Amino acid sequence: MKRRTFMRCIGCGAVATAVAQTELLPEFLGGMQNACAFDYSENLASVEARYYKKLDGGGVECQICPRHCMVTDLERGYCGTRENRDGTYYTLVYGKACALNIDPIEKKPLYHFHPGTTALSVATAGCNCNCKFCQNWDISQSRPEQTKNFDLSPDDMVEICRTRSVPNIAYTYSEPVIFYEYMYDTAKRAHEAGIKSVMITGGYIDDKPLAELLPHLDAVKVDLKGIREAYYRDVVGAKLQPVLDRLVQIRRAGVWLELVYLVVPTLNDSDAEFTDLARWIKANLGTDVPVHFSKFHPQYLLKNLPATPLATLERAYDVSRAEGLEYVYVGNVPGHRTESTFCPGCGEVVIERKGYRVRGINIDGNACRSCSRTIPGIF
Amino acid sequence: MRITCLMYTNNMSTVIVVKHNGRQPDRGLSVDVYYRLLEAGILALAGGEDIGRAWNRFLPAGTVGIKVNCLAKKFNSTPVALAEALVRHLTDHGRDANDIIVWERTGRELAAAGYTLNASANGLRCLGTDANGVGYGQELHSSGEVNSLVSRVLTDMVDGNINLPVLKDHSLAGMSGGMKNMYGAIHNPNKYHDGNCSPFCAQVNALEPIRTRYRLTITDAVRIQYNGGPGYVAQYMAYFGGVILSDDPVAADAIALRILKRLRADNGLPTLEEVGRPVRYLQAAEDLGLGKADPDEIVTKVLLVGEGGVAHAGGLF
Repeated sequence: MKRRTFMRCIGCGAVATAVAQTELLPEFLGGMQNACAFDYSENLASVEARYYKKLDGGGVECQICPRHCMVTDLERGYCGTRENRDGTYYTLVYGKACALNIDPIEKKPLYHFHPGTTALSVATAGCNCNCKFCQNWDISQSRPEQTKNFDLSPDDMVEICRTRSVPNIAYTYSEPVIFYEYMYDTAKRAHEAGIKSVMITGGYIDDKPLAELLPHLDAVKVDLKGIREAYYRDVVGAKLQPVLDRLVQIRRAGVWLELVYLVVPTLNDSDAEFTDLARWIKANLGTDVPVHFSKFHPQYLLKNLPATPLATLERAYDVSRAEGLEYVYVGNVPGHRTESTFCPGCGEVVIERKGYRVRGINIDGNACRSCSRTIPGIF
Repeated sequence: MRITCLMYTNNMSTVIVVKHNGRQPDRGLSVDVYYRLLEAGILALAGGEDIGRAWNRFLPAGTVGIKVNCLAKKFNSTPVALAEALVRHLTDHGRDANDIIVWERTGRELAAAGYTLNASANGLRCLGTDANGVGYGQELHSSGEVNSLVSRVLTDMVDGNINLPVLKDHSLAGMSGGMKNMYGAIHNPNKYHDGNCSPFCAQVNALEPIRTRYRLTITDAVRIQYNGGPGYVAQYMAYFGGVILSDDPVAADAIALRILKRLRADNGLPTLEEVGRPVRYLQAAEDLGLGKADPDEIVTKVLLVGEGGVAHAGGLF
């Protein structure tokens, strides 16, 4: 889809943006492309990738994520979105969005970052992991020629935010690390226009690209998928330690950070894991990092498992609170009491939520209105 | 033409290597030469004298797919002349052109390799999985660690498939032949290149739609890139002048690997094992029951086809 058509679609689909649920932008329902024709060359971008090293013999070493794929001519890295062409490495997804919606920021979830606002949420095809529980595997595990893509430049996104009064852009759904260049340029333009950027990621990225990206981000939500290397190896298809290192890096950089831990029955739901997780967070990130324990729903390659019992999520909550974490939430359970934020000082509700809807904010600046205790976050 | 078929025991696999016995052409072999190579090869593989019956011994009634490998554009893809010779064989021996689909991952790759696309409903079709109305099936197929959507060409459009790859070195897998070519049938091949593509390559070929549609492997081994693949690197191309036929996908690759290893040695290169690219997926495939990887369990017959007819060769080299 060309820019003019795209902008027309956006205009025709005008709906009030002060919504508490996802707003699907017309014509932007991404997903696997099973029965439509499209021009292959139009469907792929050819923008030189950043963070790679040229090797003797025409190969390249990708340096965007810890995989460090060695990619020979005409081949792609693990993510399926970066291709070696005659010794030059290209990203094929720059400006090629396959999903675009306006979501509540709470859906990311970011609970301590401008609550009640919305985020223009964008994704391209591809991912550098292969989580067996992936909820968006139809786009994350696809190559860009297999998804229905739309030409959407960084300027286009900024323009949508302006015209729709959307204060944030979220890079999300699949894995923004694999569309790094697109995210970086958009975040930079967005900042210039006074629009904030948040990255929703698995955190599987090398330190240098992350360091150069962080100044252009306002918040990061990391899916810390487990606290055992074996779980990362067997269920995620990646390594845990680089993710832990990046969490510390984000925290030290002062960019707002929240964590999600998807609780998968029998695979990462033991008390020992919850305890180790809480202790690691406390020791390395601090007790005031929000942690969301999310309910798993049978998906993709784990359809054999049941959904996470509420009792398991509440056990994770209790263990984490007992270990001293101050902002713990149960996620994907609409109406649960822990959806709201409680002041650790006086116990009063400081941000009241129901589902993705914010029903009340009792904070002045960062201070609890009841006891004046500082509530961490960007409000 | 009369080719005496060897009497093989039931637990042996058969691979036929048919070499062009003539002057090395400046470019690739012609359609006519390929046609004669295929004729000698299929008769030897099937046993007997009737070419039509030989093809039909392996191919089902209905629609036949021909999976080519066009990753490396014109210089190092399945030659159009070979695909054309195969199609001519099938149509000469009773199959309607409308019941043949030459296919690859994308139309762009086919076109870049010199194929003429036809994604319509009529005539010989030549199309990519990305063609209008094709795409990937909705069902996620699993085998071991591989979980993939499979091209609808295989799941919905053909009754049997001929694997028509080109033999070449591969920077990760060690070798790309028939089994590696089936990475072009799944939607997420990039996920399965770790560990020299093993056991993934075996598991890809064990996916139900791929395994059950498989009929024959016919590997182009006329000009072989013995190093630097899978892209084209001119300095590592060598002329072998043959095609490899088998109804055992593992055995076909096992013999192809012998040829590739010999070319590397002849050209003073270290072994694939020494450069960290051992072809391990063949044993993994045998372990999955897909065929024979052990050369001792493969009967290899080498034929020379030239102006004077067909002759038996003493060995592969």
